[in-house]
Amino acid sequence: MSAIVVQELRRTFAGQVAVDNLSLSVEAGQIYGLVGPDGAGKTTTLRLLAGLLDPDGGRVALLGRDPFGRDGSFRESLGYMPQQYSLYGDLTVDENLAFFREMACLSREAFAARKERLLALTRLAPFGRRRASALSGGMYKKLALACVLLHEPKILLLDEPTNGVDPVSRREFWDLLHGFLADGMAIVFATPTMDEAARCHHVGLLYQGRLLAEGAPSELVRAFDHPVFRVGGERASVESWIEKSPDVLAFTPAGEQLRIVVRRGRELLVRGAEGDALRLVLRGRDGSRSPAFDATPASPTFEDVFLARVHERHEQTEA
Amino acid sequence: MNRFLRRTRAIAHKEMLHLIRDPGAVYMALGVPLVMLALFGYGVSVDIDHIPIAVVDQDHTPASRRLLQELTAGGDFVRAADLPSPEAALPLLGRGDVRGVFVVPEGLARHRARGEPGALQFLLDGSDGSYASVALGDAAGVAAAASGASAALDLPIRVRFNPTLRSAIDIVPALIVMILSMVSTLLTALTVAREWERGAMEQLFATPVGRTEIIVGKLLPYVGLGFVQTLLITTLGAYLFDVPIRGSLLLLFSTSLLFLVCMLGVGLLVSVVTKNQMVSVQVAVIGSFLPAMLLSGFIFPIENMPALLQAIASVFPARYYVSILRGTMLKGSGVSLLWPQILPLALFAFLVLAVAVTRFSRRLA
Repeated sequence: MSAIVVQELRRTFAGQVAVDNLSLSVEAGQIYGLVGPDGAGKTTTLRLLAGLLDPDGGRVALLGRDPFGRDGSFRESLGYMPQQYSLYGDLTVDENLAFFREMACLSREAFAARKERLLALTRLAPFGRRRASALSGGMYKKLALACVLLHEPKILLLDEPTNGVDPVSRREFWDLLHGFLADGMAIVFATPTMDEAARCHHVGLLYQGRLLAEGAPSELVRAFDHPVFRVGGERASVESWIEKSPDVLAFTPAGEQLRIVVRRGRELLVRGAEGDALRLVLRGRDGSRSPAFDATPASPTFEDVFLARVHERHEQTEA
Repeated sequence: MNRFLRRTRAIAHKEMLHLIRDPGAVYMALGVPLVMLALFGYGVSVDIDHIPIAVVDQDHTPASRRLLQELTAGGDFVRAADLPSPEAALPLLGRGDVRGVFVVPEGLARHRARGEPGALQFLLDGSDGSYASVALGDAAGVAAAASGASAALDLPIRVRFNPTLRSAIDIVPALIVMILSMVSTLLTALTVAREWERGAMEQLFATPVGRTEIIVGKLLPYVGLGFVQTLLITTLGAYLFDVPIRGSLLLLFSTSLLFLVCMLGVGLLVSVVTKNQMVSVQVAVIGSFLPAMLLSGFIFPIENMPALLQAIASVFPARYYVSILRGTMLKGSGVSLLWPQILPLALFAFLVLAVAVTRFSRRLA
């Protein structure tokens, strides 16, 4: 049985759909990355999973228990870290930890051992008497994580936990999580950044409350069958043609060049005058053709996949 | 049960740390009552004495001088001017330098010596009703005393519990009620709302902590603070305004504690429902101050209200506590007399907390 099972979950706010028939499952020992832009419905999804919002429809099972029912026992095995600051800023690091120890009713011995381990892992040990509000962004996030990990939850919900955290702390954060996965924890990790998503075992691309694609990041990239190019040439001209062409699914700046995803079968490649360099021609909506741009084939990245899927979704809803 | 106590204690401990680190609430709890006590205790006195009057002695006899002396001896009147004629007093009356003019007409002593009725004259500034009526009463008293045993009927009036009808004795208990209502409601009105606004509630509700644990845990430190506040204003109120405490102190403070829980509970309920500190404070002030002021019997006797208002007043705990305080402080009443007031307080405390817990939704929206 999966640790987290979500079936056709729906939630609207004043007629606005925030989560739209969402289904997913997370196994014990897995990190599930919920990836999407701001407003995609990540926070609402996590709040629903934590039983902090009631759904309009659908079901959630956390280790087989219903977070929307009267039985609150699922909270014993739940760790939830909200996106916004949620600790007590006027309490010290030690006091915050002690408070959450009491909420979880941990024994003195268990707490001492776990606190020591978590403080060592987060390198917060020297700051025990510092107030939470005086911690740096990264330290604060690590303290928040330590507070939700104290009771060793079987299910961990993290809402953009590394938002505003420097790359070094971010790395430490991930190391910390991987340590707990081995104990059979199931983690849902909401993030807007693609590089973090790529570190998850499984990702769901969330957009307008719907899952556009789901799978292991490497699988999603491998299964992606639209060609990707790095295009050079005069930037303004390339951009105006990207604008005009219905075949470009996604583009991202890559230094001097632009990375573009072209719809499979719609790429028009010509050989350059020298014979070896590849050149790409884009087609306009009216059948017109762009000049041939210098192009190098590139292998798709997770970001290409995400942007192209979002674009395709737009096309579907407009059609 | 053990877990319930542990979590409740942890919430109470955390709340106490908030209080210590941000002592604004402590200042409010202890400072505001003192200011209100001083303002209302000294400012809103309905005792009127030292009324400045002018006297006109046209009789010029030892008897008339003695009469005028007696007039000002009680402290009700101050002899502000001695004038030859009532006409001379009119400008002083007009300017408000004196509130009245007491005239002993010529020949009074002669008439009295013959056993004939004499007449005094008292000119009164009627522009301030309360001054005028008090002065009139006082003057009538002096005149009656001066006329001696000649009065045919004697009506002995003895006022119990407050023999001199000093207003402080009546006001101080009501003042305690008003101050406690307002300040204690405000104290807790902020707590739950603040936690929502800070985002801490989102994390807290994802833990196994129960709603009752949060409510009771948040209540406890404020009961402690409120109790210090009660001690402060009952002691100071009794001392500064010379109000006796004739009943049992244990009863006084245990009923105060009960009332405190009622009002702290109201604050919690407001906070739970509004989830917003600004709105919460406004609702708390209106919802505690007005009933305590208008529907407690402090200003308007409840018995004189229309039936509907009486029914509304009987919902608010303030009126019961006013009765209890007047009972324990002034009359020395015990539980056997006061239980009809204590019971509604206990019921209110229980209900308001129960409603606060049930209205405390674990959902964010």
